[in-house]
Amino acid sequence: MASELITEDRTRHSAEKSVGIIRHLNLGTAVIVGALLAVTVNRIATKLIFEGDETWRRHDQIVMATMLAWFIGFMIGIGALVGPTRWFFGKDLNHDEAMFLAGKDMGLKRYFRYTTDHKVVGIQYLILTITLFFIGGVLAMLIRTNLGHESGGLIPPQVYNSIVGFHGLIMIIATIIMITGPFGNFILPIMIGARDMAFPRLNALSFWLLISILPILAATIALGGIPMGWSGYNPLADQGPLGVDSYIFTIVIFAISSAVAGANITTTAMKMRARGMNWSRTPLFVFGTVASVALALPAFPVFMLSQVMSAMDRAFGANFFNPEFGGSAWLYENLFWIMGHPEVYVILIPAVVAIMEITPVFARKPLFSFNMAIVGIFGIVGLSIFVWAHHMYISGWAPLLNGPFMLTTELISIPTGLLFLVILGTIWRGSVWTRLPMLSVYALLFNFIIGGVTGIFLSDVPEDAALHGSMFVTAHFHYTLMGAGLTGALGALAYWFPKMTGRMLDEKLGRISFWLVQIGFTVTFFGMFAVGLEGQPRRVEAYDIIFKNGNLISTMGAYTIFIGMLILLAAVITSWRNGEIAGSNPWGAQTLEWMTPTPVPLENFEVLPVVTTNPYQYGIKQETSS
Amino acid sequence: MLSETSEDTTKQSRNRVGSFLSRRDVQQAIRAWVFWAVTLGGLGYLLIPHLMTDSASKTMDIVKSTFMAFYYTSVPVAAVVLGIATQTVLHNRHAGTVPPPDDNPAIETNQMANIVWVVISSALCVFLLVWGLVVENVVAEPSRAANATVVNVTGQQWIWTFNYPAARKDTNELYLPVDQPVIFKVQSKDVTHAFWIVQMGIKINANRGEITETAVTPNKIGVFDVRCAELCGLLHAHMQTRVHVVSKADYEKWLANQGSVEQWPAS
Repeated sequence: MASELITEDRTRHSAEKSVGIIRHLNLGTAVIVGALLAVTVNRIATKLIFEGDETWRRHDQIVMATMLAWFIGFMIGIGALVGPTRWFFGKDLNHDEAMFLAGKDMGLKRYFRYTTDHKVVGIQYLILTITLFFIGGVLAMLIRTNLGHESGGLIPPQVYNSIVGFHGLIMIIATIIMITGPFGNFILPIMIGARDMAFPRLNALSFWLLISILPILAATIALGGIPMGWSGYNPLADQGPLGVDSYIFTIVIFAISSAVAGANITTTAMKMRARGMNWSRTPLFVFGTVASVALALPAFPVFMLSQVMSAMDRAFGANFFNPEFGGSAWLYENLFWIMGHPEVYVILIPAVVAIMEITPVFARKPLFSFNMAIVGIFGIVGLSIFVWAHHMYISGWAPLLNGPFMLTTELISIPTGLLFLVILGTIWRGSVWTRLPMLSVYALLFNFIIGGVTGIFLSDVPEDAALHGSMFVTAHFHYTLMGAGLTGALGALAYWFPKMTGRMLDEKLGRISFWLVQIGFTVTFFGMFAVGLEGQPRRVEAYDIIFKNGNLISTMGAYTIFIGMLILLAAVITSWRNGEIAGSNPWGAQTLEWMTPTPVPLENFEVLPVVTTNPYQYGIKQETSS
Repeated sequence: MLSETSEDTTKQSRNRVGSFLSRRDVQQAIRAWVFWAVTLGGLGYLLIPHLMTDSASKTMDIVKSTFMAFYYTSVPVAAVVLGIATQTVLHNRHAGTVPPPDDNPAIETNQMANIVWVVISSALCVFLLVWGLVVENVVAEPSRAANATVVNVTGQQWIWTFNYPAARKDTNELYLPVDQPVIFKVQSKDVTHAFWIVQMGIKINANRGEITETAVTPNKIGVFDVRCAELCGLLHAHMQTRVHVVSKADYEKWLANQGSVEQWPAS
C-alpha cells in the first residue's frame, strides 16, 4: 500500500519535467498549426500552379492542396505524430508521457487533447455524435419546412440540393459512429474486462481524424455546397462546385478514421477479453460491434477509393467516371454501393445488439437463443457484401444480374428474422420493466418490422422499377436507419448514461421525448410512404400540387420529432449536470461494465475479473420449458 | 405395432400442441395477433389502393398486385411480432425504480421455436423470389413484342426529348398509341437521369454514352406523368413532362401532322 502511494506521488511530481512537447499540444495548437500550414500552402499553390485553359481544374487543385495542408497541420498540432516520430528516432514515449496521454489527473482539459483513455474518447464521441445529430436535425427541419409549403419551392434549388446532401452526409456519419463511437469505446473494453483498448493511441487518432474534417465540411458552405447529394454520383459530382472537393476529403478521412477504429475495436475484442470469457460467455454487444466494424473494414476503403478517383477526375481530368472519354458512371455507382449497402448494416447491427443487451436486463430473462443471435448477425454480415446491386436494378448496368441480386437481398430476411426471434423470445414470458431503455426495445420492434417489410417490397425487381427514386424509398430507409437504428442508439444512451456520467437520465423528460419522437416519426414517414406511392420523386425541392397533403403531414410529424429531440437534449444536459446520482449498477445488470465503480477509475478494474458464465443469468432454471 | 406407436406419437404431440394453445398467455398472444392481423390487413385493404397512383399499363397493374400480395403476406408475420410485444406489455408490466423480481422462467432457447421460425422465414423467402422472377418475366413481355414501336428518349439538364425514328419526329411531350407495345431506348446528354412514367410503373436510368432499354404497353387512354427520378442538378424537381396515350387512329393522325419538331403540342 505504502509503496503504491509513493509511486503515485513520484509520477505526479515528475510529470511536469519528464513529459516533453506533448504537454503543450491540444486542440488550440492543432487549429493554429493547421490554419498556418493551410494558408502557407494555399499561397504557394496559387503562385506555383500554372494557369492553363481549364481554370476550374486549377481551383480544384488549390483547394485540395489547402485542405490536405490543413489536415496535416491539424494532426501535427494535436500531437498525433509525436509518438510515431519518437519511435522512428528510437525512443518511445516514457511511462509518464503515457500516463499524461491517458489523461491522468487532468480534469476537463483531457477532452481537448490527444487523450488515449478509452473513456475520454467515448465521451468525446458522444458529444460529437450529439452535435452532428443536432446539425443534421436542423437541416432536416429546413428540408421539411421547404416541402411543407404548398408544392415546395421556398428555398432556392441550389441551396436546397446542398441541404439535402449535407443532411444525408452528416446523418450517415452520425449514425455510423453513434454506437460504436460512444459505447464501443467507453463501454466495450469494460464489458470484456480490459483496462483500455488494444491500441489507445489509435483510439485518439480515430477521434481526432473526425474532428479534423469538421472545418473542411463547414468550408463546403463557402465553396458552393454539395448539390449532388451525399451519394456523390458522377458525372453530376464532376460538374459540381468546389464544395465537392470538401465532400471528397470528408469521405476519405472518415474512411481512414473508421478503418483505424475498426482495427482497434476488433483487436480489443479478440485479444483483451477477461480470463474465462470464451466466445459463449462474451456479451452479444461485443459480437455486434465487432461484426459492424469488421464489415466496415472491407466496405469503406472501396468508397474511399471511389472518392480518390473522383478527386483525380475533378483536379486532373483522369476521366474514371466521365463517359465522354471512356469512363463509366456505372463504375462509380458500383463502387459507391459496394460500400453503401454493407454500411446500412454497419449502422443497424450495433443498434440491434445494444437493444439485445438491454432486453434481458429489463425482461429479467436470459437472452433467448444466444447462438441464433450470432448466426443472425454474421449471416447478415456475410450476405450484405453480396447485395449492393439491388440499388442498381434500374441503372441499366446489367439487367441479367437483377435476378441474382434479388435472391441475395431476399435471403437477408432470414438472418434478420432471427434477430426478431431473439428479442421476441426474450420478452416472451418475461417482465416488462417500463424504464426508458425498455421503451426503445418496443419502439425498435415496431419500426424495424415496417422498415424490413418495405425493404422486401423494394427488393422485388418490378416493384423497385416503380418505386425506385421515389419518396417511398426515403421513408423506407429512414425506418431502418432512424426508426430502428437511432431508436436503438437512444435506448443505449438511456441504458449506459448512468455508467458514463454517474447520473440517471431524467425519466420524465425522457418519456415525453420518447413519445413525441416516436409518434412524430410514425406520422412523418406515413406521409412520406403515401406521397411515394403516389409518385413523388426523392430529392425534389418543389413538387406537383397533388402531393400537398402528404407533405404537410410529414412536415408536422417532423416538427414533432424535432421538439421531442430538443427535450431529450435538455434531459441529457440537465441530467448530466445535476441528475439523480446513479449507483454502480442501477439496472441490476450482469455484464462486467456494471461491476466497476461509478465513476469508472482510470484503468477500470482494481483487480481484473474472471468470468465463469454468460452475463444473462436471469430467472429460475427449470428442467423443461417452452 | 408400428402404426400404433406412430399414432400414439401423433396423439401426444397433438396433446402438447393443444395444451400449449390453451395456455393463458398463449391465448392472450393469439388474441393480440388477431387484433394486429385484422387491423393491419384492414388498413392496407382500405388505404393502399387509394394511396397508390392510377394504373395505365399491365406493368403497373402487376406492380400494384405485387404490392398488395407482399403486404398481405407480411401482415401475419408483423402481427406475430406486434402480438407478442402487445401481450407482454399488457400483462407483464412492471413499474418502479427497482428491477422486477427475478422469478421468470430461465428459458435459454427452444429448438422447436428456432426450427419453426427458420423454416417459415425460408419458405416466405422462396415465395418472394419465385413471385419476383415470374412477375419480372411478365413485365418484360412488351420488350419482346415483334411489332413494338421504338421511341428514343434523351435526357438532358433538365428536359426530356422524344424521338420517333420511324416518323422522324422530335417532341418534348410523349405520344403513345393505346394497347401497342413501346420500347424506349434511353440515353443522356450530360449527367445521369432516370426516365420514369409514373402511372405505367416503368423506370430506367438515362446514362451518357450508353443506351438503356425499357418497354411497356399502355392500356388506358389519358394523360400521364413523366418524372426524372435521379437527382440531376439544379432543376431536377422540374424535369417532368406529360405522356398522352391516344387511340391508334389519333396517334397516326398526330404522327402525320406536319412539322417535324413540335414543341409543346396541345393535348
